Amino acid sequence: MQVSSLILNPGLSLLIRIQNIWKRFGEKQVLRGISFDVRDKETTVVLGRSGGGKSVLLKMIIGLVKPDSGSIEVDSKDVTKMNYKELRAMRFKFGFLFQGAALFDSMTVGENIALSLRRHTGWTEKEINESIEFALHIVGLDNVAEVMPSSLSGGMKKRVGLARAVALTPRYVLYDEPTTGLDMETADGINLLIKDMRTKLGITSIVVTHDIHSAFVVGDRFAVLENGTTLMTGTREEIQQSENEEVRKYINSSLPMTEGNRA
Amino acid sequence: MAETYTGNVQNHPLTFFAIIGERSSAFFEHLARYCSLMWWMLRNVHNAKEYSRNIYQQMVMIGNDSIPIVVFVSAFVGMVTAVQSAYQLYDWIPRAVVGSLVVKSVLLELTPLLTALVLAGKVGATITAELGTMRVTEQIDALEALAFDSISFLITPRVLSGMLMFPVLIIFGDLVAIIGGLIGSVAVANIPAEAFINGMKSSFETKDAIFGIIKANFFGFTITSVACYQGYYVEGGSEGVGKATMGTVVLTCLAVVVMDFILASILL
Repeated sequence: MQVSSLILNPGLSLLIRIQNIWKRFGEKQVLRGISFDVRDKETTVVLGRSGGGKSVLLKMIIGLVKPDSGSIEVDSKDVTKMNYKELRAMRFKFGFLFQGAALFDSMTVGENIALSLRRHTGWTEKEINESIEFALHIVGLDNVAEVMPSSLSGGMKKRVGLARAVALTPRYVLYDEPTTGLDMETADGINLLIKDMRTKLGITSIVVTHDIHSAFVVGDRFAVLENGTTLMTGTREEIQQSENEEVRKYINSSLPMTEGNRA
Repeated sequence: MAETYTGNVQNHPLTFFAIIGERSSAFFEHLARYCSLMWWMLRNVHNAKEYSRNIYQQMVMIGNDSIPIVVFVSAFVGMVTAVQSAYQLYDWIPRAVVGSLVVKSVLLELTPLLTALVLAGKVGATITAELGTMRVTEQIDALEALAFDSISFLITPRVLSGMLMFPVLIIFGDLVAIIGGLIGSVAVANIPAEAFINGMKSSFETKDAIFGIIKANFFGFTITSVACYQGYYVEGGSEGVGKATMGTVVLTCLAVVVMDFILASILL
């Protein structure tokens, strides 16, 4: 279905193709043949319940976790067959916002962002400092470069995590539960940022979440996972109008009550 | 009807052997993973120069920050060795022997071993807790996602610093322990300082000090590498970090005493 829609829309280029991914941890079979595609300059949201292997899937895309079987093609190269050197080279294309932001707590906010810039670019300290300011400005934080991560709120940590992820201007950004644990207002701020990353920087994104509200705010295309399988893929409208009982049940159970669905 | 082993260890009459089998398998799995981690580290040790700042930070943490505890332990080790040596000597044995006993015991055994045991607790536990926390909060994954080689960035600097700083700490500890021995001899055992120093000079051999330094080098590698392994592969959240930290202290203490015996058997 996805391939045919690409033929119908030749302007859209396929960048990441996830095919038949299986993964088992001990006794637990977490993923059972997940497949979906990610397209250029779109935000693809992977929806599913907590503990369903969504974060593992995200880590597989950059080779942090190896699937038991299946393939993940990034720009037509199979990540699952790459050696460590190739993986590291491929990771330059990605920014990754972790669920808890995963900031290095022994470093200041500025040092967190500067770390990869110092390591991977030949920039001068002046250029690096300008990039730090720019990255922080994009995420709506100013004058926090000297602050330690421990003194930031959850929402601010995620913003810094995002600033760190985009500092090297990646082609793709992967978001692992970007709004989990945040209040509505802060979550809306993060959702706005994710949209900005696409519209202002042209970044292709994959967002993993169980938050339907956020998903529909940021997503262009969706993959709904259930019991380790791909229940459905499609656009927002396709998902919302789906006749699939499981999809309907999932969406309705996750959506906050509104005047419409209360009636 | 003969029972067949179903894989459920708890319900089988041969439970004891099954448990031994499972534990042995787990031990060899850990050993293989530890060896592969060390192999990776050695193979990429040339990358360490790119992380010289980390090496410097770790040298400060392992070396500088451990000086107070090394001074404290070594001083008392020297003093108690002097006092106990004096206590055990017959009246007709010259008092200068205390100086000989102190310098030999301290250089060959007491300072390297006791300092290593203390540092197994301080340095080993710190490294495991740090890396374990980084693992459970996904900081190690974040490093990898930023295209860093997390082993070269986190483990190599710690192990190299341990191998460099442990000998320095032991040399420092040797010096403090001998001064402690002198103070203990003069203040408690009523042995003239001159007699102690003469005894010390008469039995001092450079190879004893070198032996202690070689041991320190091995202890430094063992403690830091085991601690890094334990922290790097932590599983199970904060509880896992706690268990791994305790495991590091137990494992490194055991490894140090076993290695102490092996090195003494080979080098002396």
